[in-house]
Amino acid sequence: MIGAGIGLVVVAALAAVAAGSVDVGLAETIGIIGQRLGLPVTPTWDSTAPTILFEVRLPRVLAGVLVGAGLGCAGVVFQALLRNPMADPYVIGAAAGASLGAVLAITAPIVLPILAVGAGTAWLGIGLAQVMAFLGALGAVALVLAVARQDGRSSMVTLLLTGYAVSSLIAAGVALLLVSSGRALASVVGWLLGSLGGTGYPELAVAAPLVLGGSALLLMRWRTLNLLLLGDEAAAGRGVDLVSARRGLVLLATVVTSAAVALAGTIGFVGLVVPHLVRLAIGPDHRLLLPMSCLGGAALLVTADLAARLVGGVPVGVVTALIGAPFFLWLLHRSATAVTTP
Amino acid sequence: MSASRSRFLVPLLLVLAACQPSASASPSDRAASSTAPSSSAAAIVTYPQTLTDDAGREVTLPAEPAKIVSLAPSNTEIVCALDACDRVAGVTDADDYPPEVADVDDVVIGALVDVELIVAADPDLVLAAGNELTSSAVITELTDLGYPVIVLYPASLEAVLDNITLVGQAINATEAAAEVVADMEERIAAVEEAVAGADAPRTFYEVGLFEGAIYTAGGDSFLSGLISTAGGEPITGDPLTTAIALEDLVAADPELILLGDAAYDPSITPESVAARPGWGEMTAVTSGAIEVMEEDPVITRPGPRIVEGLEALARAIHPDRFD
Repeated sequence: MIGAGIGLVVVAALAAVAAGSVDVGLAETIGIIGQRLGLPVTPTWDSTAPTILFEVRLPRVLAGVLVGAGLGCAGVVFQALLRNPMADPYVIGAAAGASLGAVLAITAPIVLPILAVGAGTAWLGIGLAQVMAFLGALGAVALVLAVARQDGRSSMVTLLLTGYAVSSLIAAGVALLLVSSGRALASVVGWLLGSLGGTGYPELAVAAPLVLGGSALLLMRWRTLNLLLLGDEAAAGRGVDLVSARRGLVLLATVVTSAAVALAGTIGFVGLVVPHLVRLAIGPDHRLLLPMSCLGGAALLVTADLAARLVGGVPVGVVTALIGAPFFLWLLHRSATAVTTP
Repeated sequence: MSASRSRFLVPLLLVLAACQPSASASPSDRAASSTAPSSSAAAIVTYPQTLTDDAGREVTLPAEPAKIVSLAPSNTEIVCALDACDRVAGVTDADDYPPEVADVDDVVIGALVDVELIVAADPDLVLAAGNELTSSAVITELTDLGYPVIVLYPASLEAVLDNITLVGQAINATEAAAEVVADMEERIAAVEEAVAGADAPRTFYEVGLFEGAIYTAGGDSFLSGLISTAGGEPITGDPLTTAIALEDLVAADPELILLGDAAYDPSITPESVAARPGWGEMTAVTSGAIEVMEEDPVITRPGPRIVEGLEALARAIHPDRFD
């Protein structure tokens, strides 16, 4: 099953590298990849083709794999944790915080602390907006957790509602910055719509360990997630330390989400619907549900981004919704069991 | 949320289209950009050479560019005015002048710069637009891919001349650039002479209307400078958004209304403007001084034909001086 999932991602990624607005050709694509792998291939392609494949398309496809995998995986965790089918990776503030960080970085680079962060990003070779988005996402979730704490522990409903409230507050701040952003407005809107374009290898190198490492650690906690589904008392009765288990899950899922959002902006839908799609297909056991949602998210986002590029650069979030939502509705309709509430 | 986002996009594009440079580009920027020899006789251009563009970036050209990608119609017009149209290897879908650029591949479709298509065109010079008209993310990406990117963003009529000189230096066409600049300087001087001493009517130039907002020349913008040079007193909007509130427009009481947007939308006519609620009492409306500016494409495009735009504006503002 996992093997099939990996195969799906590889096929999607190959297709996304082979196709684009410039027609390189499948045989040439295979030849170019072969040559890069050291095989003795006679070049039959245009001299610009390798640049297009390896410098323009491949980083973008890899970003799609990372972001899709991270969102799919984090989505499962948040749905299980909050026991809410409408939960997604952005629900406790990550998206709003990331937006605020990125918009601040784009519109107000005069603020001193941002300059200090900027020096750090120059050293890492990545964009200031990405780092500020990452920090903003972490900060917003930290704020939500702090506000939602009651008597040292927070109920999941309180956490969810606090997440909505804080997100709305931050969104108002983002809107305020938007209105006063002037010449940077195009950059800001572009960021908010979410895009995989313009990703470079330095950004990937920073985001990959966060997303993949975090996801791997989440995958190892499938048993805890299964027990949480049984209810707090049942889980506690089977030896789950609810407070620390939840803290660990929220922390890991937030790091994964923050890195994904920082890389690509707020791409919606993937983190909400991929877990449901996978759950409908293979059931609620997190041992399979988690890794398959990871792979499903990656395959879906890479495919959606390919479609977005081919139809002339519409935001990839629009495409994920356009192809994902009807498919999801069809699946819902077909499935007699309907969505299994986590 | 997504609905409110997309509603941002349309006015945004309008604003950007209308938003010629704000005052921030100072004379020192222009001084920096004219490291190239000015209108004096053609100097010998040697490569590699390093030039400073309108964004203050230093750009090194290793050899004379043979394939040029232009990311703005005004940039294309500059290259073609320097007899180098045959070197243009990529343009935007908005390019329409000179007519032969219709045969050149589009690498910019709408607001989207297709980096893949630029790489396929294999340029040795990319001419981008400033002020986020070409997004800074795209400029960074192209620079990272190793292409020399020169950002052109003239803040004034004089800066357009500097841009032409700069491009002439970049592509080894200094002689042609000097000729174009001299011709333009002559025509600008002729306009200035024609309108000299005339009363400057309060002039409102309508760039566009969108969802109740009125877009015009921004304060201290390229367009407001052009209107001043043409002998008008520009009524300006917000320097950032280029929008003006109707009440401010009524208070400013234009003596002349020029309809740039009517060049694209035949439903906008002097009659329809006079019938707009709140517009009836303006001096321009009661005296019937409302004109359609069919020349809007050259008025708002900072290329070599900007002098045609200037002449059209001057004729509209001071018809008596151009008999």
